[in-house]
Amino acid sequence: MREFDVVVIGGGLLGCFAARNLCRRKLHIALIEAREDVCTGVSRANTAIVYPGYDHKPGSLKAEMTVRANTRFAELCTELDVPFSRCGSLMLSCGERADAVLREKYRNGLSMAVPGLRLLSGEEARELEPSLAPGVRSALYAPTAGTVNPWELGIAASENAAANGADLFLNTRVLGVRKTAEGYRIETDREVFACRAVLNCAGLYADKVQETLFPSEVHIVPDGADYLILDRVTDNRPAHIIQYEPEDGGKGFNAVPTVEGSLLLGPSERAGEVDFAVSEQGLAFVRERAEFVLPGLDLGGTIRSFAAVRPNPRREDGSSIGSFVIEHPAPGFWSMIGIKTPGLTCADELGRFAAEQAAAFLNAGPDESFDPRRRGIRKARGMSWEQRAAVIRSDPDYGEVVCCCEDITKAEVLEAVRRGAVTLDGIKRRTGACMGRCQGSRCQQKLLALLARELGIPESAVTKDGAGSEVLGGRPHED
Amino acid sequence: MKTELLIVGAGAAGIAAALAAWEAGCRDILLVDRRERPGGILPQCLHEGFGLAAYGAELTGPAYADRITERLAQTGVRLALGTEVLAVRGDKTAVLSGRGGLSEWRFERLILASGCRERSIGSLPVAGTRPAGIFTAGQAQEMMNLRGQDVGREVLILGSGDLGLIMARQLVLAGKHVIAVIEQGPRCGGMARNYRRCIEPYQIPLRCRTTVSALHGERRLRGVTLRNLDSGAEELLPCDTLVTALGLIPERELVRGLGDPDWLSYVGNCHRVHDLADSAAAEAEAIGTRVGGELAV
Ligand SMILES: Cc1cc2nc3c(=O)[nH]c(=O)nc-3n(C[C@H](O)[C@H](O)[C@H](O)COP(=O)(O)OP(=O)(O)OC[C@H]3O[C@@H](n4cnc5c(N)ncnc54)[C@H](O)[C@@H]3O)c2cc1C
Ligand SMILES: Cc1cc2nc3c(=O)[nH]c(=O)nc-3n(C[C@H](O)[C@H](O)[C@H](O)COP(=O)(O)OP(=O)(O)OC[C@H]3O[C@@H](n4cnc5c(N)ncnc54)[C@H](O)[C@@H]3O)c2cc1C
Repeated sequence: MREFDVVVIGGGLLGCFAARNLCRRKLHIALIEAREDVCTGVSRANTAIVYPGYDHKPGSLKAEMTVRANTRFAELCTELDVPFSRCGSLMLSCGERADAVLREKYRNGLSMAVPGLRLLSGEEARELEPSLAPGVRSALYAPTAGTVNPWELGIAASENAAANGADLFLNTRVLGVRKTAEGYRIETDREVFACRAVLNCAGLYADKVQETLFPSEVHIVPDGADYLILDRVTDNRPAHIIQYEPEDGGKGFNAVPTVEGSLLLGPSERAGEVDFAVSEQGLAFVRERAEFVLPGLDLGGTIRSFAAVRPNPRREDGSSIGSFVIEHPAPGFWSMIGIKTPGLTCADELGRFAAEQAAAFLNAGPDESFDPRRRGIRKARGMSWEQRAAVIRSDPDYGEVVCCCEDITKAEVLEAVRRGAVTLDGIKRRTGACMGRCQGSRCQQKLLALLARELGIPESAVTKDGAGSEVLGGRPHED
Repeated sequence: MKTELLIVGAGAAGIAAALAAWEAGCRDILLVDRRERPGGILPQCLHEGFGLAAYGAELTGPAYADRITERLAQTGVRLALGTEVLAVRGDKTAVLSGRGGLSEWRFERLILASGCRERSIGSLPVAGTRPAGIFTAGQAQEMMNLRGQDVGREVLILGSGDLGLIMARQLVLAGKHVIAVIEQGPRCGGMARNYRRCIEPYQIPLRCRTTVSALHGERRLRGVTLRNLDSGAEELLPCDTLVTALGLIPERELVRGLGDPDWLSYVGNCHRVHDLADSAAAEAEAIGTRVGGELAV
C-alpha cells in the first residue's frame, strides 16, 4: 500500500492544478488518473475562453474567482510557459432583450471592477471588428478576455506538479474510497493508496466517486455540445472573441481566434451521453449561428468538428446549480462536482482554494522549495530565423519538419514523448501536430513510427488515444 | 545563398520543370523537397498507369520516378531532399530548413510544384465519434506502400474518385474486405478506365447518391451510418476502417499573400489537379522551358 498525505483523484485541469497548488505546502501528494494521459476529459473539449468575470452574480464565488483569475492569468501563463492571447471580447446584441442583458452584464462587471468594460454601439463594434453582421446594434467590449489552449495549460500544471514532487499515477482508476482511522483508503484497479486527505476532481464522474463513501447532494447530468474549427487562413477571421447573445434567449454562440491560429466556433446545446459524439443538428446550429453573426466567414474552411460534454450539476430534485460546487462531506474530503464554465479560467484559483483547505486541515507549512515555473517544449514555429538556425545547429531534429501544416519539428515530437506522450493524441496535445488543415493525413503515419520507436513498442500497438484505439490493423479481435 | 531558379517540390511536375529549364539553358537550379526520396507521390503509387504519353510504356509510379530521377542526375540541377521550404517572401528570398541547418536563398524565379493535399473528413458535417481507423486515400496508400503499415480489415471507401478506386483495388489485393465504395454523386467520380480495372473485376459494390452521415465507435471505428441522399434512408454499416477520397486541394499556402508576382509560376497539382502524372509533367515542361529560357539569356 502506498501512503500519501493527499490523494488527488482525476488528472483534468482541476486535478492538475489542485496537485500543483498542494506542492506549495510540505505535503506528499499523489495524482491518480484513470486514463493514459492527463487532460483527456472535459478539459480536452471546451470553448477555451479566459473570461473577464462579468457573467456572474457580483459577490459570488464564481464572480470573484473569475475576476481574480483573469487578473492573474498572464502571470500564470508566464510561469507555466503557455501561450495566452488577451485578445479581448465583444458580446453582441441584435435586439432590445439582448441590449438589456448586455447592460446588466456591464453593471455586474463594473461592480466587480472588471477593467476596461465598454458598451458600444453597433457602429463602434464594427469599427473594432469589421466583419460583424449589420444587424448588430450594441456590444459589450471586454479588453481583458482572452484565450488559452486548455490542455496545454493542464499538461503544464501536471508537469509543474511533478517537478515539485507530486507523484503521477496514470492508467489507474479509482474504484472506491473507504474511511480508515488515519484517513482514507483509495482503492484502484491497480493498487491501494492510503492518505490523510482526498481531493476528488473526477470531472464527469466526481459524484460517483464521492458516492462510493458519502452521499452527494449534487449529481451530474451531462449534456453535449458541438464545435467547428476553421483553418487559420480564413478570410474575415475576427481578431476578438465574438460572443453572441441571441434575441430569443436561446443558446449563445462564440467565435474564438485560438492561440494556434485557427478559429473555434460553437458550442451548440443538446441532450447528450458521455460519449463525446457530435450531433448533426448541433453542427447545423453552429453553422447557422456563425453565418448570422459573421456573414463573411467561409465555412468551407472547416477542418474539424468535435463534441464536448458538459458536467451539469443538479440537486436531488433536478434543479440546476449556478455556482461552483465544492462539497465537503467529511473532514479531509473535498469534491469539485460539475465544475463547468468558467472552470478553465479558474483552474488555478480552484486548485489553490482546494489545496489551501487540505493544507489547513493537515496543518501543512509552506514548502519553500516550490518552484512555480515550468518550461514548455521549445517550438520552432514563431522563432526568429536566427533563433531557429541556432537551435538546429545544437539539435538537427529541429531542422526536420514533421507536421508541415503546423510547422512542428521532429525535436518537438521527441520532447513530447520524453514528457509523457504515449499516444498520437498525446503528441498532438503537446506539440500541435495534426491540428492543421490536413488533420494529420500527411504526418500521422510518421508520428506513429516515431512513437513506436521511442516507446520501444510495435507500430501495431500505437493508439490514437488509449487502449482499444489502435491505429493499425483494424478492430482488435477481442473487441 | 543564391540560385537563379528555385523549384519547390520534386514530384513529377517539379522534376519535369527542372529538366526542361536545364535543357533551355538555365544552369543554376535548386530543386527542393521535404521528402527523402524524389518523385513526390509517385513512389507510393505501386500500380501501373504512369508514363504512357512520355515513355510509351505503362510504368508503375516508382519506375516512372526512377526514370525521371535518372535523367535529373545527368544534369547539374542541385537536388535538396529532406528539406522544407518554410517561407517564400516578396523580396525573392526563401527560407529552407533541413537537418543540416536553416538557409536563406535569393532567387530570380520561383516555380511552385508543391502538389496538392487531400480534403480530410473533418471538412464534412459528419456526426458521431472521432475514433481511430480513418485515413485519407493517399495516406493509406503511403502507409501501405512505403511504410508497410496495415490500415485495417473491414474497409469502407468514401469517394469514388480515381484515388478511391485505386485504393479499393489495392486493399482487396492486400486481402482486405472492401465493403463498398460510397459516392454522393449519381455516378462513379473516377475515370472509366479505373472503374473497369479496379472495381468491376473484384465486384466491389459502388453505391451512388449515398454518403456517410455518422461515425461510430469510441476508440476504434466500429461502423458508420450511411444515408441515401435521395430517400434520406439511413442504415448502419459495421466496418473498422474508413478510407476517404474526398478530393484534392492545390497546395499553395507557401505563397499565400504574395499576390501574383511576375517571378512566380505554378506547375503540376498545385496549379490545378491533374489526373495523370504525364499531364502534370507536360504542363511543367512547358513552363520550365519558358522560365529556363528567360533565365538563360
Ligand atoms: C462545453 C464546455 C465549454 C467550456 N468552456 C469553457 C470556457 O470557455 N472557459 C472556461 O473557463 N471554462 C470552460 N469550460 C469549463 C472547463 O472546461 C471545465 O471546468 C474543466 O475542464 C473541468 O475540468 P475537470 O478537471 O473537472 O474535468 P476533466 O477534464 O473531465 O477531468 C476529470 C478527470 O478525472 C478522471 N477520472 C474520472 N473518474 C476517475 C476515476 N474513477 N479514477 C481516476 N480518474 C478518474 C478522468 O479521466 C478525467 O481525466 C467549459 C466546459 C464545457 C463542458
Ligand atoms: C495520391 C495520388 C495518387 C495518384 N495516382 C495516380 C495514378 O495512379 N496514375 C496517374 O497517372 N496519376 C496519378 N495521380 C496523379 C499524378 O500522379 C499527379 O497528378 C502528379 O504526380 C502530381 O505531381 P506533382 O509534382 O504536381 O505533385 P506531387 O507528386 O504531390 O509533388 C509535390 C512535392 O512537393 C513537395 N512539397 C510541397 N510543399 C513543399 C515545401 N514547402 N517544401 C518542400 N517540399 C514541398 C511534396 O513533398 C511533394 O513531394 C495521383 C495523385 C495523387 C495525389
